[in-house]
Amino acid sequence: MKMEEKPLSGPDNTRLEALMQDIYSELVEDACLGLCFEVHRAVKQGYFFLDETDQDSIKEFEIVDQPGVDIFGQVFNQWKNKECECPNCKRLIAASRFAPHLEKCLGMGRNSSRIANRRLASNNNISKSESDQEDNDDLNDNDWSYGAEKKSKKRKSDKNQNSPRRSKSLKHKNGELGTSISSDPYKQYNYNAGISYESLAPNEVRSLLTTQCGVISEHTKKMCTRSHRCPQHTDDQRRAIRLFLLGPSVPTLPDVDGDGFDVPDSQAVLSRLQWEDSPDISPADSASSKASGNHSDSRRPKKKKKPAAVAAALSMSGGGGGVNLMGVSGAVSQSTISLSTKKKKPKAAAAAAPSVSSIFNELN
Amino acid sequence: MNKEARLKASINQKLTETGERDRLKELLRAKLTECGWKDQMKAQCKEVIKEKGLEHVTVEDLVVEVTPKGRALVPDSVKKELLQRIRGFLSQHAS
Repeated sequence: MKMEEKPLSGPDNTRLEALMQDIYSELVEDACLGLCFEVHRAVKQGYFFLDETDQDSIKEFEIVDQPGVDIFGQVFNQWKNKECECPNCKRLIAASRFAPHLEKCLGMGRNSSRIANRRLASNNNISKSESDQEDNDDLNDNDWSYGAEKKSKKRKSDKNQNSPRRSKSLKHKNGELGTSISSDPYKQYNYNAGISYESLAPNEVRSLLTTQCGVISEHTKKMCTRSHRCPQHTDDQRRAIRLFLLGPSVPTLPDVDGDGFDVPDSQAVLSRLQWEDSPDISPADSASSKASGNHSDSRRPKKKKKPAAVAAALSMSGGGGGVNLMGVSGAVSQSTISLSTKKKKPKAAAAAAPSVSSIFNELN
Repeated sequence: MNKEARLKASINQKLTETGERDRLKELLRAKLTECGWKDQMKAQCKEVIKEKGLEHVTVEDLVVEVTPKGRALVPDSVKKELLQRIRGFLSQHAS
């Protein structure tokens, strides 16, 4: 809308213009009056002149405009290059490094205790393990730096005193050590890659396989120590290993597939229970034939003994409430028979085991 | 003259009724503060106060001294905008 536009009709124009001016003046006067009231009140209440200071103060706080200095007149960086004397160690420390130095020096603050503990632990380990060795001298000389280098690897080595790396390095350096340092369960742990199943007793094999992947690597002939979900090996491989190591009936994979409780073959359960009868699972071929032979052998004579065997399983797994289990075992054996139509034997005992244990849990 | 008076009265009434008057007042105040008119006026008031003495200054003193200056000090842009709005209102509501 242009300023000069006069959309108003002719004769009324002037009147309306005049009216317009009147209204405008009225508004402006209103504003002025409002201001006067405001000021007058401020004067009478005493806060009108509050924002004014005396001349001296104004001069004192005037804005500074010199080079090398900020508007307050302060020099930037003034304290940066100064050195302060540490009250603890009496050294001269640069100002910017003073606070962290004090933290370490006094032993207070978040990091200092952590670092100190680390250092103590590593020093203890180093001195303990390498006290009898020739190259200990070199290490002692480089104590500080060695400790610093060790820091990053600290966590892993601290966690397990009997870790494979340590025992292996010890074995290298001191031929006498052998297996005396590390405790029994770890004796079969060779350098980092896994476990050699040959030296394990069947109990240990079973317990290991319940927690670990266990797939035997082709080139190292060792069991994989990763978890069941290890990405390097498939479930099929895991199943095969269990089949191979423990007999055809007992793949102790906790994560049974959606097949659920199918084919908990009674024979499978029994052959698992009868583990002690066939302890010698030797590598590859002979194992599979032996296992299958085992399976067929166990089939005939054991049929009549189902309830007893299953009851034995329950008592083995739990160890309590003897009489009550008989009824349950009867139920379990019936369910195993009814489901035996499907042919997926490797999972049989695995399904049976959880079902048995779950029933047992319900009982207790 | 009667017509004019009546016209004026009716327009004023409409201004108030529709709330346009209050809106215009607020608009004007905001614009004046924004452009620094208010600070200028306060400086004028200070002078009047210093002249008359802090204890004895009255509202009348201030009004009489300050209003004419205030009217004169309103910037053109603000004046034009306000007139524009009033004209718009009038064209809408004038019978």
